[in-house]
Amino acid sequence: MKHLADELTAFLDGALAPGERARVEAHLGACAACRAERERLEKAVALLGRLPEAPAPSPTFEARFQARLAAQRALPRRPRLLDLLAWRHLAPGLAGAALAASVLVYAGARHRADERSMAEHLDLLESYEAVASVGVVERADDVQVVAHLDELGEGRP
Amino acid sequence: MASDPDAALMLAFQGGDASAFRVLFERYGRPMVAFCHHFVRDGARAEELAQEVFLKLYASSARYQPTARFKTFLYRIASNHCLNELRRGEYASRRAADPDADADGAPLDPDALAGGGASPEESALGAALSREVQALLARLPEKQRAAFVLARLEGLPYEEVAEVLQTSVSAVKSLVHRATVSAAAALAPYLAGREVTP
Repeated sequence: MKHLADELTAFLDGALAPGERARVEAHLGACAACRAERERLEKAVALLGRLPEAPAPSPTFEARFQARLAAQRALPRRPRLLDLLAWRHLAPGLAGAALAASVLVYAGARHRADERSMAEHLDLLESYEAVASVGVVERADDVQVVAHLDELGEGRP
Repeated sequence: MASDPDAALMLAFQGGDASAFRVLFERYGRPMVAFCHHFVRDGARAEELAQEVFLKLYASSARYQPTARFKTFLYRIASNHCLNELRRGEYASRRAADPDADADGAPLDPDALAGGGASPEESALGAALSREVQALLARLPEKQRAAFVLARLEGLPYEEVAEVLQTSVSAVKSLVHRATVSAAAALAPYLAGREVTP
């Protein structure tokens, strides 16, 4: 037979539904160990009920509270953590971070676009050794210029 | 929550009625001191803690939602504040250094507690019991401690304790039971031979 546990204290506190209470009573009728435990806990609960009451607040309790409240209200309001996390506080920082991230993404994307463009015009670049040798072909725009130079080289106006 | 007059006062305070807050303070100031006293067993410190609970209530009034009873909301603030206080340990260390600690350690007769008059022996017994409970609370895990104070010492129904601690009623049953078993062990020297009084 499983002994009573949580339900025993709840039983003493009158916190059980009628059906559960009846089951606990039936168990107590048949189990000496649980009856002994109930008696022990009951005594402890009764003794706890005889703890001295908390002393009444001192006569200045409310006046001191009002003074503390006035002091609290006089303080400049410090932003709480949640406020700090609020959009209006984070917005400038986030805007800066977003701008920096955009620059990086744009720079990365542009870098990748330049690489693609240069790869696409690799044959052309290889045919212009002079242009390549001076190191001016760094960007996709340069490749386009080189392409036009090629056209100019063919004697177009 | 229209049926909770305290919630109505809190809403009135939210709306700018400062007198509503004063009424709440007058209504709950003393119970809050008693509640905090269970945690620290020191009248002056309990008053400070209770004041701080109301300062927190004041500061957080804008966030109050009348979805729970005001009393539950207040006890939640108070429980968290008192547990934080004990967690900091400053009070415990101060009490450990208190030269007033009962030195003889002999359990006194609990029957001496009966009646309103406080003889020296009654006062000594009350102080001894208080120290036992204080030491017990210091040993209990936090949630057991809060559940024990709310249910056993404050007399809140399990359902309200569950609301305050934001847990289930079955969890409260378990917490209160384990804390009560610990209390019975701690108070064993005072229990021997006692009859249960109704």
